[in-house]
Amino acid sequence: MFCAVSTMTDGDYDYLIKLLALGDSGVGKTTFLYRYTDNKFNPKFITTVGIDFREKRVVYTATNSNGTTGKTFKVHLQLWDTAGQERFRSLTTAFFRDAMGFLLMFDLTSQQSFLNVRNWMSQLQANAYCENPDIVLVGNKADLADQREVQEKQAKELADKYGIPYFETSAATGSEVDKAVITLLDLVMKRMEQCVDKPAQEAPNGDGASKLEAPPPSEKKCAC
Amino acid sequence: MDLSILEALEREKVLEVLQRDKLLRSLEDERIRKMKLELQEIRRKGAKSFARQYSERTCARCQRPLGKFWNCGAVCQGCSHRICNKCRIVISAHEWKCTVCHAFREVKIKSGDWFLEERSKKFPGGAERHETVGEKLLKSYQRLSHISIVPPTPPPFSEGPSFSRSGGLQTSRPFTKSMENLFVSLTSHMKKVSKSQNDVAVVDRALLTADYGKISTKERRSQSDTAINRPFGLTKAPSLPDLFKRPKSEDEEGAGTSEAYTDEDVSPNTEYHEEKRGSISSLCTELGIFTCNNSVTGEIELALGYSIKTSCLEISIRACRNLAYGDPKRKKCHPYVKVYLLPDKSPNRKLKTAVKRNTTDPVFNETLEYQIDGAWLVGRVLQASVWHAGTLKRKVFLGEVLLPLESWDFEHSTTQSTKWHLLCPRVTAPEGPEGGAGEIHHCELMIKAKFTSSPPQLPKAADHQREETHMGQLSILITGANNLAILRSSGSLNSFVKGCLALPSGVELTQKTQVQRRRSGPDWGHRLLFTAVPEASLKGSSLELGLWDHAPFGLPPRPLGRAKLEGAWSLQKLLQTPNMWLEFSLPFHPSANGKKM
Repeated sequence: MFCAVSTMTDGDYDYLIKLLALGDSGVGKTTFLYRYTDNKFNPKFITTVGIDFREKRVVYTATNSNGTTGKTFKVHLQLWDTAGQERFRSLTTAFFRDAMGFLLMFDLTSQQSFLNVRNWMSQLQANAYCENPDIVLVGNKADLADQREVQEKQAKELADKYGIPYFETSAATGSEVDKAVITLLDLVMKRMEQCVDKPAQEAPNGDGASKLEAPPPSEKKCAC
Repeated sequence: MDLSILEALEREKVLEVLQRDKLLRSLEDERIRKMKLELQEIRRKGAKSFARQYSERTCARCQRPLGKFWNCGAVCQGCSHRICNKCRIVISAHEWKCTVCHAFREVKIKSGDWFLEERSKKFPGGAERHETVGEKLLKSYQRLSHISIVPPTPPPFSEGPSFSRSGGLQTSRPFTKSMENLFVSLTSHMKKVSKSQNDVAVVDRALLTADYGKISTKERRSQSDTAINRPFGLTKAPSLPDLFKRPKSEDEEGAGTSEAYTDEDVSPNTEYHEEKRGSISSLCTELGIFTCNNSVTGEIELALGYSIKTSCLEISIRACRNLAYGDPKRKKCHPYVKVYLLPDKSPNRKLKTAVKRNTTDPVFNETLEYQIDGAWLVGRVLQASVWHAGTLKRKVFLGEVLLPLESWDFEHSTTQSTKWHLLCPRVTAPEGPEGGAGEIHHCELMIKAKFTSSPPQLPKAADHQREETHMGQLSILITGANNLAILRSSGSLNSFVKGCLALPSGVELTQKTQVQRRRSGPDWGHRLLFTAVPEASLKGSSLELGLWDHAPFGLPPRPLGRAKLEGAWSLQKLLQTPNMWLEFSLPFHPSANGKKM
């Protein structure tokens, strides 16, 4: 579905998609993104100062409604990394409004970081571009099985409650990292189409056929 | 490590990130610009223009004729235009869009406009809604750092708790206001703004839903001036993409009627398929024979673009919102937009959009084109008026905007973004009694004007102000007239022109040309020269030109009509381009016979 493209400094892409990683300090947002963009792992903890971003170009293959693969597009990903530290909070939340999708991350070895997911969710609701933006819940550090404090079932339930996908990833091994980002990108790509094609209200996913077959309105009244 | 150094480093780091973001943004902006340029190209091919006849029976995109029974085209769900088979892009077995609607959709997705639009529903902000947080921060920091070069005055002692984090910082802080503090103030400010807007919005929406029907049009207008009304307007935002969002009933109706109604103002006694140029009722509207709605409300969204290459002025009429009802009693409104390039009001230079039925927030998405040389835009004013197409050919004026084209920034000519303009009541009052029959209103006098500034003279007297010594010459060349009925009837004229330049000081300079005998066509070379025109006061002056027919045997000359060159923008232009002939076409008001001028 996706594959990396090398050159990055030209405007030869079809979409610029802005995603943003958020979550408590130390859950591994920076290493997660580093793994995704460069496929490398840095075990050192360097706290992010305010904000940062990484870029990656991928090829996206659209899937049609009937499941067949459609056109391919070049996507330029701008992946915003935010500081988890409290003192940068006002700055980082301000950047929420420019992102199209969110990687809400917690540390599988820290119950506290998981408990804070709810707080991050409400921060998103308040600051993101819409009330229900596309979010993927990510439990990171899955490789540290012996230190695990959050059970998969627990996290899955929370994700289901919010109606968002959940992934257990490891920036150290790279497991599920790509899948989490790709899933989010897919959600955003589908969201774009919906926003353009459907009325602003909660329109049912009716296809074009029903539109065409709609009876003509009987509004005509005599003008005299 | 010293904290103040660390904070400075932090700031550096964040600014570096924001600079990188800026690079990506400029790349993106360029990409979007190109994309919109291409879209413009596609749209141009299908643009309605007066040069090309369009009707129900041609494809709105390629202008190919359509048959009555086969190859008759079908109506695009997006734009409600009739489209031939070849100009469609099939999306699924049951769904297709015309090439333009499809391209619009693509651009909206790929440019990220979908995102901005979604966000503006939640955060209704004004013009700066496109600006990202990073962009804002970078700008505000640049501004702040600029200011901080000036040594700041010592801060008052009770400055704030956030500053007393490290004791030894007291002295150095004012100079190195940390980025963090900057962010705190900026973001809290931003939040405050958006929050307060939201609060107002919620209250207002409740109010609007509660007694929308009762709110008088006057009130609605006052609200539209403020941000309060924005969420309401935006949910109905008649922007381009709403083409795709319109409820189907409206679509269907639009499809059935909008095309047919483009010809609506053909007078009752002409054939339906007659050429729509110069329709009688349109003349009537220009003559002031129309119902004037007592209240004008709402706005019109349009974009202007001028292509030097093709000499084409494009007017993209997107939409209107919060229009007054054309028929307030029955709460009906069938709006359409009519466009003139004033002062040219000749019927064949009139362009109109289709009529949208039963809406006060019509979405037009039509591009109207004028082939006009760039030099001719000087002194032109775009008049876009909104009308209600009432029953029995009755027109109701709903408001208009006047946009002087000279002051228009055509620099980014092909990618002009649309703007909302507040509709105004008619400024130009209907013409007085001397505006007799219909035809005369489309007369215009063609003139050329040139301002030559004399070399600055030495002040002759000490009590003279220096500005007054900057004198210039105003040369006027009357080259001809359009549609002058008198010429056609009498065959030839012995014409001369009297010009009167009224300066703001009250001084009037009068000049008269030689009589040009027996010229049959309206191609004269009447020349007027006003010397000693104070340069500073030209802007506020007006030049009245009277055209006369010289009568033989000592009889008094017969007035033919008059025209006026005025308005700061056209006279300003003369000052800006000295020693250059500029062309103007002035509305010419013929005199009724025997009437003294």
